[in-house]
Formats: sequence, C-alpha cells, structure tokens
Amino acid sequence: MTVKDLSQVEGLKAHHVAEGDQAVKDIYCGDLLSDVMANAQEDSALLTIQAHKNTVAVASLLGLGVIVLCNGRTPPSDMIEAAKSEDISIFSSSANHYKTALAITPFL
Amino acid sequence: MGLYRIDLHNHSSLSPCAEDDFSPFLLAIEAKEKGIDILGLSDHNSTDNLKAFAEACKIVDLIPFFGIEVTTIEEVHVLVSFQHIAPALAFGSWVNDHLPYYPNNEKLFGRQLIYDEEGNQTAEVERMLATATTLGFEEVIDKALREGALAIPAHIDRGSNSVLSNLGFLPELPYSAIEVVTPRSEFEELGYPVLTGSDAHRFEEVGIRSCVIELSDRSAKALIAALNGRRCGE
Repeated sequence: MTVKDLSQVEGLKAHHVAEGDQAVKDIYCGDLLSDVMANAQEDSALLTIQAHKNTVAVASLLGLGVIVLCNGRTPPSDMIEAAKSEDISIFSSSANHYKTALAITPFL
Repeated sequence: MGLYRIDLHNHSSLSPCAEDDFSPFLLAIEAKEKGIDILGLSDHNSTDNLKAFAEACKIVDLIPFFGIEVTTIEEVHVLVSFQHIAPALAFGSWVNDHLPYYPNNEKLFGRQLIYDEEGNQTAEVERMLATATTLGFEEVIDKALREGALAIPAHIDRGSNSVLSNLGFLPELPYSAIEVVTPRSEFEELGYPVLTGSDAHRFEEVGIRSCVIELSDRSAKALIAALNGRRCGE
C-alpha cells in the first residue's frame, strides 16, 4: 500500500498527506524513539504517542513515510510544519497502537 | 543567609537543538546581565563545552555549575551538576561511553559546536547527541549523588522526556531537587526542593525561568549543602 491508501482506513484522521506515493510495507509500534531508531524498518508506518517534531526527524532519518499518532494525540503545528518540509505524512487515531495496527493491516 | 538567583539548566551550541552562535560565553554574559548568581551549563549527553564555560564564568564573575543533561534509557532527562569541572568531565566521559553511536544529521537535528576557552568555535561533535543512553534513570541518579553532584529530574511537568511522562510516577529516590516548568502546590508536596530552570537554547531564553533560593552565602558549596545536605542537616 502507499501512504495515500491510509486515508481509506476507518478511524484514521489525516493531518498532512505528503505528495508522492511513498510505500507502506510494514508497521512499527513504539514510543521510545531510541528503540524506533534501532529497530524500525524503512517504509514502515510508525504508530506512536510521541506527538512532537523530533518524531518527524527520526522518521525522516529512517525513511518512514508516515506517522500515526495513537490514543487521541494530535500533532502540534510545529510537528506538521516539520512533516511538510520532510515529506512525511501524519495521521491520528483515537484507538490504541494495537487496534490502530489491526485496522491498517488488511490494507498492507 | 541570603537570597540568590540560580539557573542550573542551560544549553549551548553543543546541544543539537540550540542555536549555533549560542556559545558558553554568550550564555554567561547574558546570565550576568539578568542578575543570576549561580549558573549551570547542561548540554545534552556531553560536557565538551564545560572548559569554555568555566572561563566564561570566571570572566563575568559568576559561580559556575558544571552539568550535563543525561537522556536515560527510559528517555527521561536528568540534570547532573557538579561544583568542580574535573568530576563533571569524568561523568561526561561515562555518559559518552553509554551513548549508542549514530552519526548526527545536521539538517534534522542541528549542529553540535564546541568552543575553546578563548571563545573560538574549534570543533564539531560528529556523533548524534540527541538520543538516549543505555543508562537507567536510577543508575544515573545514584552515581551522580555518590559523586557529590546535584541530581535533578528535569522539567518533570513536561509532556515528553520527563520522569512523569515516561515512567508515569516519580520514584522515591534522594534527589537533590526536582525541576518544573510551572511551579504548582502539588509539586511542593512531593517532598523535594522545587527549582525552575530556563532550559535556554538561545540567547533570548537566558534567565526566563531562573529561580531564587536561600543560601548561607554566594557559593557553589552553599548550594550543594542546601540541596544535598538537607537530608542530614534538617
């Protein structure tokens, strides 16, 4: 699937959808960014509660095209601005990581 | 006894998120202007600008505290601050040994610049300082206190990188103090001295959250005694 397909997933709200068709091949759930740095694979969707711009920096470094903020967290404006400049998409979900991953999985 | 203005939590150009021209000298000169008596420098996971900071504080006549803001394995920020530079540099070396190596990406995180004692920018740290060490929260607190430093959980009321946001509670440990962004009565009830710190990353932020504390005199020793000595002294 590509990042744009995430718009079809029930329960996901788009905050910024980047241009291009960045692939989403896997999902990584994690709230410790050091763990994400060490383990997330390129082209994964990052499911996290870390709603700040450092998450965008980590995603950019690893080639993760999309961040999905879970548990009702919403991105602050500086996070959205950072995502725009790095071509990273941001969605949010009111559900937890597990339920959000379950909702995305059929589209992978 | 007297009242003295302290500000233990400040960054310099060495911290990736700080401005490149924010040298330890600029920090010290502006802190002096703002009426600060005791000033700390605490860059992220590095003590490489402390020598320049020592010189800067000597020139402007400020009492220096030689610090570091450690990112623990739980991604909690802890301020560790020493009265003397040598043990601070040794502590910084220990932290450095426990920092996983990633090259810094300047575009995403910013540059990490070292200044020398004459105020010249002389080197740049290549490894990424803005990541977590493999050191546990309690391990950092324990080693800092054993070495006579101040051990202070940083900005505990912040939504990220704080002990309350990342652990969900404040473990009962003999902290020198706790640092908050916004003082509230509930923090006073935790049983530790409550400090604020500017967490300045640029010139304009110097002194914005300094605080006033009662000390026996204007000295580093008096601050250590007031914070670390209170458990046996009161």
